[in-house]
Amino acid sequence: MADTETSPPTNVLIVGVGGQGVIMVSKVLAALCQLHGLQVKQSEVHGMAKRGGSVFSHVRFGAQVWSPIIPHGETDILVALEWSEGLRWLDAMRRDSGTFIADTQQIVPPIAFRDRRPGARSGYAPQSPAAVLEMVGTGFALDATRVAAGLGNTRIANTVLLGALSTALPFPVEGWISVLRDFVPPHTVAVNLKAFQAGRDWVESGSRPAEEAARPAGARVAVAARGHRLEITEAWCKGCDICVKMCPERCLRLDERGLAELANPAACTGCRVCEWLCPDFAVRVLDGLGQPVA
Amino acid sequence: MDTLSLDTFDIRAYLREDLLPHFMCPGCGHGIALRALLWAVHERGIPKDRLAVVCGIGCSGRVGAYIDANTYHTTHGRPLAFATGLALARPDLEVVVITGDGDCLAIGGNHLIHACRRNLNMTCLMLNNEIYGMTGGQVSPTTGGGRLTSTTPYGNAEPTFDACALAIAAGAGFVGRGMTLQLPALKTLIGEGLAHPGFSFIEAISDCTEIFGRKNDLGSAPEIILRQKSGMRPDTYGNIVDRPFQAKAMRIGVLGRNDRPEYGAAYRAAVAARIAP
Amino acid sequence: MHMSTRQNLQGNHACALAAIAAGCRFYGGYPITPSSEIAERMSLELPRVGGVFIQMEDEIASMGAVIGASMGGVKAMTATSGPGFSLKQENLGYAAMTEIPCVIVNVMRGGPSTGLPTRPAQGDIMQTRWGTHGDHPIIVLTPSSVREIYAQTIRAFNLSEVLRTPVILLYDETIGHLVETVDLPDPATIERADRKWATGPREGFRPYADPGDGIPAMARPGDGYRSHTTGLTHAEHGFPTQNPADVDRVMHRLLGKFDQHRDLIDSFEALHTDDAEVLVVAIGIAARAAGRAVRQARAAGMRAGLFRPVTLWPFPEDSFREHAARASTVLVVEMNAGQLSLEIERLCAQPGKVARLTRFTGEPIGPAEILATIQERARHGHA
Repeated sequence: MADTETSPPTNVLIVGVGGQGVIMVSKVLAALCQLHGLQVKQSEVHGMAKRGGSVFSHVRFGAQVWSPIIPHGETDILVALEWSEGLRWLDAMRRDSGTFIADTQQIVPPIAFRDRRPGARSGYAPQSPAAVLEMVGTGFALDATRVAAGLGNTRIANTVLLGALSTALPFPVEGWISVLRDFVPPHTVAVNLKAFQAGRDWVESGSRPAEEAARPAGARVAVAARGHRLEITEAWCKGCDICVKMCPERCLRLDERGLAELANPAACTGCRVCEWLCPDFAVRVLDGLGQPVA
Repeated sequence: MDTLSLDTFDIRAYLREDLLPHFMCPGCGHGIALRALLWAVHERGIPKDRLAVVCGIGCSGRVGAYIDANTYHTTHGRPLAFATGLALARPDLEVVVITGDGDCLAIGGNHLIHACRRNLNMTCLMLNNEIYGMTGGQVSPTTGGGRLTSTTPYGNAEPTFDACALAIAAGAGFVGRGMTLQLPALKTLIGEGLAHPGFSFIEAISDCTEIFGRKNDLGSAPEIILRQKSGMRPDTYGNIVDRPFQAKAMRIGVLGRNDRPEYGAAYRAAVAARIAP
Repeated sequence: MHMSTRQNLQGNHACALAAIAAGCRFYGGYPITPSSEIAERMSLELPRVGGVFIQMEDEIASMGAVIGASMGGVKAMTATSGPGFSLKQENLGYAAMTEIPCVIVNVMRGGPSTGLPTRPAQGDIMQTRWGTHGDHPIIVLTPSSVREIYAQTIRAFNLSEVLRTPVILLYDETIGHLVETVDLPDPATIERADRKWATGPREGFRPYADPGDGIPAMARPGDGYRSHTTGLTHAEHGFPTQNPADVDRVMHRLLGKFDQHRDLIDSFEALHTDDAEVLVVAIGIAARAAGRAVRQARAAGMRAGLFRPVTLWPFPEDSFREHAARASTVLVVEMNAGQLSLEIERLCAQPGKVARLTRFTGEPIGPAEILATIQERARHGHA
């Protein structure tokens, strides 16, 4: 029996919000540890399969692991798929030696974490990535969601972070790739491998200043040819692509951040199909004075 | 159906804007159905103070919290029961129930059939996304045959409920089905339901892109929403003229009207007839 | 029209009449023995005072409708018995969590399951306290006569309104079907309490903020507050929270909201407890038999006493401790396998002090058996 006092387990805490793939990252890591003959324990809180619900997964591995829960302040590596969730768990890290890997993408949390008093400021964490990285031993803050969007699919941001995580652990890269292949749907293997590599490259290309978080702006207003305005509230847009594909004039598109924008104002007729079918109320057609169209 | 006429409806006047963005997944049709409801409320001129929205549990149950009205998030399957008490106690309120396919047809099925039978004045909007989304994608009473869900890994072998047929058979005053893709038509349908003095049941065909769509490889949100149309047959088109080979397609539009006495009025009348003034 | 208010009244009917007198104007019910007379009487009486009766499709729905009516601002109640009470538990927890006033009558019959539907029992003592899941505040009142059913039903409504909580009226079949001659009070003398309604500014209204007495004012739909009500753990603004600090704070307020109001809540009857050596504890019909046994024991020179909680939950534990301090034996008499005994044993915490006389055959426990047990335990008694 290994002595956990002399050879303590490695503690990896993976956090994010519902739907981001926290569990997938922890499962890949756990499977990899198992492949290397290590004992591994994984414990998680999830179950509200919605955007915004706080999700976290403890992965502990080593020669012998007893407790499934990482003791407070003993997290070796904190992987945050969402910025504020990363900040929420900073305290869980080893103060000096911990490694912090986070996506700077912000998903504004749901009503559960908002102050509803009128005029209250958004409760979203104001800390800049640079300020946060100064608080941790080793830190990587990358806009993984933008990297994933560049590969054509924002859903694989978790794989980008998995790639970054792989550089912080002593397992050979071939093992990661082989496990990853097994875990993703067959038709997404190629893009996931690209995302994984992009995450590795980001870390290995050397230290660089923390990327500024891609904070969605309030509203972006574009003036269309016929005098009306198309207002897109970026903080509410989730990039579902409905407005883009349903626009009869095909004048919208998703920008490099995966958010809707009016690409061809001249073609916009103000028909409001985009407004009607936006499930997130992010699109409004306003008249020339900025009022809702009458 | 409405033409694409413009009006002064701005949904933000009916939302708790400080709670947005809402927490539905990208591409979830529930937000579109909510727009249809609030647009209909706007057109009917219902003041927000007089609007009472009663929801159950599940993704549909969380929709109500975004409405700037008197909103109640009750227990799983029971919003119709809560709403029955509320509507009887406060006939001055406009009572709207928002429920889902699991909430309304499975755990709450008994309440639905008796709400239809009783015909108390309220409007029930059932958001049908064919799945239990909140709990991670389990099979529901409306999940299509052969569909993959977390609890039908070999494909769904259970037949589906036709919620509107059920509501009509149980005697609902007004029954209709619409889809989020055709927002103005859905809005008009809900408006008729609000106007009907009795129990109105409206099924909105919504979608679950992130869970149901992914599990069944249905593609992106716009693809899923566009596909809604192929399974639907506008009732006004008649039975076989439009799609002779799609006898099983679901009918949309106003599917049932039954001008029976509204229960609250009937109760008061029965009492008045027996109690001397 | 002047009629004598003295009448022969059944316990269940007394409950219905008292509810009307207390201001109840909505009843959502479902038939179940032995509580059905309450629904029947309410269906007759409510329309006469402008109220609404509805028989719902099931027990769960009746509880939901009652809460719905109360959310609308109308005093509401339901009545049921064991199996139906089990079915109501989830919505009962919702009322406790959202702090919606309502009154639930549980006329106890033999259990578990369908059990002994027409026979008396006291097997729901623990279910009334812990029936719904999770920690929650609840008030349970347990009358033992027709007159007391009348008084405690009114009190149930008043406590429910003032403390914004579901209140359970719990009595056994024998008490429910008991017919006694009672003098009903003049309606003008009945004290009725109403919940606090929110009256302040609409803007920034926080429906679950503690005004100091632990009981927030309620927002009535239509009054312009447009607030949100949810069974999810919610912060002062009424919307859900999972923040541990918020959850801790709001749950402490919820679970402790009766603390400042125990004077209002606690109630009991004590008979010959001053010098009692054997203290009998019982509720309902068992308490009536115990009362006779205690008087007989006294007549025979034994120092026996009776402590009868009228408020069963929260248990009037300070008062009980005072009354039980001098007793060498506390004898718990109850018609179940031993439920109240668990609470009494917790409060006595002295090995051998608590004795149990229990029965679950569907028959009441008679005075003679209780007297015999008192005799066994009384050191100075006569055989």
